[in-house]
Amino acid sequence: MNTNTGAQDAALSALPEEPKGTLFNGAVVGLHITARAFLPMRSFDELELVAGKGITGDRYMLGREEGFYSAKPEEGRQVTLFEIETLEALQRDHGITLRPEDHRRNVTVRNVPLNHLVGKVFHLGETVLEATRLSVPCRHIEEITGQAIFDPLINRSGLNCKILRGGTVRLGDAVWMT
Amino acid sequence: MAGRTIRTVATRVEDRCGGVRVIELMDPEGWELPPFRPGAHIDLHLAKGLVRTYSLINPPEENDRYVIAVKREGAGRGGSAFAHERIAQGTEVGVSLPRGGVPVDDRPQVFFAGGIGVTPFVSAAAHLLRMGRRDFTLHLMTRGTPPLAEELARLGAPEAVRIHDTQAAARPDLAALIAEQPEGARLAFCGPAPMLAAFEAATAGRDPDTVHVERFIASPPMVNPKAKPYTLVLRKSGLSLEVGAGQTMLDALLDHGVDVPWSCGGGICGACRLRWLEGEPIHGDRVLRPDERKTELMACTAQSASDELVVDL
Repeated sequence: MNTNTGAQDAALSALPEEPKGTLFNGAVVGLHITARAFLPMRSFDELELVAGKGITGDRYMLGREEGFYSAKPEEGRQVTLFEIETLEALQRDHGITLRPEDHRRNVTVRNVPLNHLVGKVFHLGETVLEATRLSVPCRHIEEITGQAIFDPLINRSGLNCKILRGGTVRLGDAVWMT
Repeated sequence: MAGRTIRTVATRVEDRCGGVRVIELMDPEGWELPPFRPGAHIDLHLAKGLVRTYSLINPPEENDRYVIAVKREGAGRGGSAFAHERIAQGTEVGVSLPRGGVPVDDRPQVFFAGGIGVTPFVSAAAHLLRMGRRDFTLHLMTRGTPPLAEELARLGAPEAVRIHDTQAAARPDLAALIAEQPEGARLAFCGPAPMLAAFEAATAGRDPDTVHVERFIASPPMVNPKAKPYTLVLRKSGLSLEVGAGQTMLDALLDHGVDVPWSCGGGICGACRLRWLEGEPIHGDRVLRPDERKTELMACTAQSASDELVVDL
């Protein structure tokens, strides 16, 4: 057994020479917006993302500003994403049923490791997003859903993004990074 | 969070007999409103510091509106007078999320109400009718014309809705009415205190699971419900404010217009970190280290063990 060859340090930044898979091949499985803070999210088959501004009709669209956090402007809140796998984990590990319209993020995705994407640029259908930071759960959501979901959502509460290239995002669209 | 309410607009205002005003509230663009249970109640934020709670009278299936009935109380604390004088069609009203409500299940439901206490049962009965259920009875004790006569007629007066006008006939014996109800029925009550005492006495021997008294419940506290009130002193600005039982320090600060940064409201993001100077804070956050807690606290979760807590604001 070799020890202290320096391989460990090199391995930290290495990727396999012959990749066996791709980083991820995700899909859009839910699209939701709401007009104002507290109101139920409505489900859509497609949403219009406007570069640098937000989602047409959503509470955080620049110029609309009717969201719970609108008094605290943030560039990276133009669109928010959430993993369907988190909803599955809440059911599996905590017996909590939370539906895509309940988590209050705009885009629910499958097979996209959101926590890996902070600071990265990636594709969401015909749009291009830049992930600015992880979302933080908010007590507000427990008030709205009446479920104790704050703790189980810590560190997996979704991703806040800036819209670099706008366009229409549809259910089933691919999510990928080049 | 403090001062955060659902924005609604009065879309219909109708004055009815007996000083009752029916007010329908909707989203300005007709968006769905947060869901509610039959007979749930909401707070109306009528003016600064003037918050009043009213039961919804419409069924939960009407998911885009909250309808309330406000009886004008001559000796009231100003809420009903405000609702009668200042709310017209088009008036914007901030409301809370709905809370509470009348529990209904598969068993036959018997509702007992006194006067304007009929409101939650108007919602619950309308809900049951929508479900195709007719196995409910509403007994309403009223002095003269009942409130919401039109709604009651639609719910099935005089069979399903029995109106006992105590001006026209002797007040029925509540205990005798309750004794008539089969054991398996669910009984619910809303009304004035003397009638409540009679209801509670008459139902004392029943399975508690079949008896419900509709009371307004406070908004769920964001902190430990046992947290006691205290005085928060802001050393730099010279302000002194009362933090109510179950209220968060952050809410108290925001309510008083003190601009503090905040975000998660649950003691994990670190946005509302404050220096404290005197007193004995109880820390509820998950971000501060033990040594940091000696001088700092998170306003969204901290409480106070001392009657006064001084912070560096």
